[in-house]
Amino acid sequence: MSRVARSLKRTMAIFHARNLEYLRDRASFGWNLVFPVLIVFALALVFSGPQKSIFTVTVTTHANQLELAQFPGIDIQIAEREKALERLSRQQTDLVIEASEKEINYWINQNSAAGAILEKLLRSTETRTLSRGQTDGAAIRYIDWVIPGILGMNVMYSALWGVGYVVVRYRQSGYLRRLKATPLTKFEFLIAQVISRLLVTVVASCIVFAGTHLLLDYKMVGSPGLLLLIALLGGLSMITVGLAIACRTESKEFADGLLNSITFPMLLLSGVWFSLDGSPAWVQGVAQILPLTHILQAARAVMLDNAGLLDISLNLAVLVGFSVVGMLLSTRLFKW
Amino acid sequence: MPEVILEVSNLKKSYDNVVAVAGLDFKIKKGQCFGLLGPNGAGKTTTLAMLEGIEIPSEGEIRYKGNFLPRNYQELIGIQFQATALQDFLTPFDNLKLFSNFYDHPSPMGELILKFRLDDFLHRDTRRLSGGQRQRLLLALALVHNPEIVFLDEPTTGLDPRSRRDLWDIVKELKAEGRTLILTTHYMEEAEILCDELLILSVGRTLLEGTPDQLVKNANVDNLDALFLSLTGEDLVKTQEVIT
Repeated sequence: MSRVARSLKRTMAIFHARNLEYLRDRASFGWNLVFPVLIVFALALVFSGPQKSIFTVTVTTHANQLELAQFPGIDIQIAEREKALERLSRQQTDLVIEASEKEINYWINQNSAAGAILEKLLRSTETRTLSRGQTDGAAIRYIDWVIPGILGMNVMYSALWGVGYVVVRYRQSGYLRRLKATPLTKFEFLIAQVISRLLVTVVASCIVFAGTHLLLDYKMVGSPGLLLLIALLGGLSMITVGLAIACRTESKEFADGLLNSITFPMLLLSGVWFSLDGSPAWVQGVAQILPLTHILQAARAVMLDNAGLLDISLNLAVLVGFSVVGMLLSTRLFKW
Repeated sequence: MPEVILEVSNLKKSYDNVVAVAGLDFKIKKGQCFGLLGPNGAGKTTTLAMLEGIEIPSEGEIRYKGNFLPRNYQELIGIQFQATALQDFLTPFDNLKLFSNFYDHPSPMGELILKFRLDDFLHRDTRRLSGGQRQRLLLALALVHNPEIVFLDEPTTGLDPRSRRDLWDIVKELKAEGRTLILTTHYMEEAEILCDELLILSVGRTLLEGTPDQLVKNANVDNLDALFLSLTGEDLVKTQEVIT
């Protein structure tokens, strides 16, 4: 038997053992499937009614130059033109304004009643020269927007805890020490953990996605294959981050703390529950260094805007980068 | 004269400023059962870990049949750890299969199941095994690749008398097969029954070395238990002076 075949045999053995452990742990297995489904249904229930009737205006310049800003009930946000028009087409904003001293360019979504009302208000209050543009596109409900967030969050928890916590548990119980006394190499052990968890994460995500999509009519206009690719690369990046955290940690309590210190910022800053478009630039900058941000940006682009491979290639490249760095660090620093 | 299988020279191990093993020299002959004894903290487990290739010595060397430890050393030895956890939710059968796959030439599983009498609990979750059943499984896992040298780190600790004797019978069988056994234990009766040669350690150094009979005779005590008590009691230094 060649060296590679022997290595593959050992890797597959530990991969199979980890799968058995996971599948027989019914409580954990069930929770991985039930928890995200519960969240999806809870949110569907909470946000199934009509959206609140607050007007949202997105400006590409300072808000204080606008007469509209004086009216109560109008939420003024600032964004770049491209981003603002994208939001307008999803009816996440009702009016986009680009104002200078003498003239105002504005855009409305022709399918939006709120946009029509705001246009009348704008025309009645502004004395500057007005130039009109328009887009179309159906409104994005909160449930459509938040579903990719929940799927991404599930990938994050399943990957980080499923590997990070488990490896530390193995170390603390002495199981890794036992494995060290066999011909199994660090790399073989780590790669088996990665593949096993990736399989679990992706299959669980597919089941949750398919199950909830059958019962709830949420928006999915893009390619399922691309979504699967995002789940694969997203899961891989999170798993390798989890391994890097667990590669030397000896205490489950400390691992808990480390994992929480990574997941909380991602939950807050990656746009799981709400958009960060109106947040300060530094917050958006920090969000870009978190893998969950790239998973969610890519998933929303595919599910809501029918984005293609090229459109999300930057997000995918970042996820590949996280995976490569995470795997290299883990293999280098791993202690049995 | 049996061949020397492992030879240890000036073996030392320190962790930060703590010296666990302070310079050991001994030889282990092929086919013998070699016992490492000593009170808690004597350095037995650390010495064993270095012999197993799990810990790297701070100083000194370990030779296998006169040479440096070969690359495939892990395939030549089998280890039963003092407290080994196994993967949750796996059965003895799953574990045998898993560990068999780590090696190129594993023993037939049927043979191992019969030899270690695992058939009654072969498909039971390992967390639900009794102490004796668990030790038999761990020993089977240590033997899964038919190793030349077997390390047994306190194999009968916590077992009831019946299970302990069952395990002794298995160890005797292994010895009869010509394997070299390296054993640590807190039970002097066990050392007396199973071991051909003993090394008694204290604070990382060799206190005494010899066959059980020789040690008892030289110390002029009734049995190994009495010798060990005198060595690890308050008169340790005095006893050491008397013996040496």
